[in-house]
Amino acid sequence: MEIFWFFAGFTILGLIGYGFQIIAVRSQISSLNAGEGQAPPLSPYLPPISVLKPLKGIDDNLFDNLESFCMQDYPEFEIIFSLQDHNDLAYKVARKIKEKYPDRDISIVVERCDDGLNPKVNNLIPACRASKYRYILVSDSNVLVDRDYLKEIVKHMQDPAVGLVSNMIKGVGGRTSGSIFENLHLNSFVLGSVCFLDRFLKMPCVVGKSMLMRKSDLEAIGGFKAVKDVLAEDYIIGKKMKEAGRRVVLSNYMINTVNKHWGMKNFLNRHTRWGKLRWKIGGIQYVSELITNAVFMSFIPILLYKPSRITIAFALFTSLLKIMGDLYLGRIMKADIKFPFYMLSPVKDIAIGCIWVIPLLSNTVVWRGNRYTIGKASLLSPCAENSRWRYRIADVIKARFA
Amino acid sequence: MLLCDFHIHTTYSDGSVNLRRTVDLFGQAGFDVIAITDHVVNGDNTMGRLAHKLKFSVREDNFDEYMGRIRQEAERAWDKYGLLIIPGVEISKNHLSADKSAHFILLDIKEFIPACWDYKRIFTEAKEQDALIIACHPHHMSDLSRDTLFLWNNRERYAKYIDAWEIANRDDVFNVISLKKYPYIANSDFHKVRHIYSWKTLLNCEKKIEPVKQCIRHNKGVAITLFRR
Repeated sequence: MEIFWFFAGFTILGLIGYGFQIIAVRSQISSLNAGEGQAPPLSPYLPPISVLKPLKGIDDNLFDNLESFCMQDYPEFEIIFSLQDHNDLAYKVARKIKEKYPDRDISIVVERCDDGLNPKVNNLIPACRASKYRYILVSDSNVLVDRDYLKEIVKHMQDPAVGLVSNMIKGVGGRTSGSIFENLHLNSFVLGSVCFLDRFLKMPCVVGKSMLMRKSDLEAIGGFKAVKDVLAEDYIIGKKMKEAGRRVVLSNYMINTVNKHWGMKNFLNRHTRWGKLRWKIGGIQYVSELITNAVFMSFIPILLYKPSRITIAFALFTSLLKIMGDLYLGRIMKADIKFPFYMLSPVKDIAIGCIWVIPLLSNTVVWRGNRYTIGKASLLSPCAENSRWRYRIADVIKARFA
Repeated sequence: MLLCDFHIHTTYSDGSVNLRRTVDLFGQAGFDVIAITDHVVNGDNTMGRLAHKLKFSVREDNFDEYMGRIRQEAERAWDKYGLLIIPGVEISKNHLSADKSAHFILLDIKEFIPACWDYKRIFTEAKEQDALIIACHPHHMSDLSRDTLFLWNNRERYAKYIDAWEIANRDDVFNVISLKKYPYIANSDFHKVRHIYSWKTLLNCEKKIEPVKQCIRHNKGVAITLFRR
């Protein structure tokens, strides 16, 4: 019975933590309505912006995502689609967008850049070089925004102390089990953690889906080249900005991340990769993620201890609370996940709990077709194909019996 | 070069994605030309009757609705994505024996043609409608359960009617088509979302139905490409 109470304690701790995450998200969203953190609208502050869109491959909804940037209600901005080669599947989509909006200032930069190991940063370096305005906005290709996005986020830049503006993200469009899991996780754990760190711990946790900066501020911290070999370029940029004395702001303007046709493998791969990243950056703090996974914690006694009425009832009650919490978050952020899919939330949490351990055992990541070894502070180093774990185990066995 | 896929199924037959979503999927991925080619299955044997019962076939009674919906979607796709949609069907003569089975696309068909007609009558009627005839997966495939070898086995008799042969279908490549120097294209045989990542055709012609048909017929300016992540 001691085992049960041990894990029940962690479960309650996890539920309290989740409660704080919900409060953080709620207060962040409600500050949008109250106008908190927004510059007073004395005169509209609308400086020209260069939107950098690094592209690689076809993301779900790519055409609409890119098009949403062409439909911005903003006086002066340019869009730079940046790719590594003409054979990239996204090139054709970028061309179509450019042809559809001839009156927009759109350029397509195709340049092979091997400066670093981070493929996204390799895409951003030529794009940044080609940009012509003082403000640059880095936006991922799976981001879908409303027409007032640029107007809303640039307001924060009126304060000269602000160095970087990132956004709250919401997963939308899920049609398969993998994408529904992904959106449930983005809308609860990811958003909750980002808001919690920002509101309560005053720690900038930049998610690179959307980052608005002054070019001069970026150059002052070493430009994109300073993060060319790290996996968490977004987090490191935010950290360096803060260290340089610039404010990092989490805008309460919510952007959509479209995940429509993800398989379960995509979901598990991404969160294993993100887990490795947080383990390498946060170190021992990574353990808190397991402890705050209340559903996973509540199910452990069932596995370790003989299933009893109390252990099962406790796990089901915890799951119910988690479902209600996710539902509430979904409602306040106007998520498009249908009600029955919230029932999958505990299953998703158990899956996340199961893959939690992988970052402790493996330090290789596969991202956009490239394989790396990930070191301290998410520093990347090349990883040969044959250093996959199964080959490494095979090597060990061969060496032993040679 | 136009990125094309001329072999796509929707929920009008045995596809798992409905027409509108299928169009959006290809439009969002930057395609230039696609053909919607749902099955028209022969209803003259048990397999065919079962396909009709399960609504895995376009039938004479819903053919006009099918064509009407494709026309609607074609307009939307052109305005939104600059995507040209060509209506078509895949005549599916299914038998227990692979040697007796044949599938072929009728591209830019105008009137319903039943799959239970004999080959010559179907081909003649298709020619009268100025439709293009494309032999689908004509040789052995990696998925052994769905080989359709009749047209290949009887090519001496029927090759003269066929405008192009699928040299690649989804993941399979049929080198016999190139050895015989037949006109070729490559298609996905799209049934599920993941099938979008498969062999495709590239055409060097104007993005209009007639030039596309001419390009396939004359087989000049045609290339195939493997569209994958």
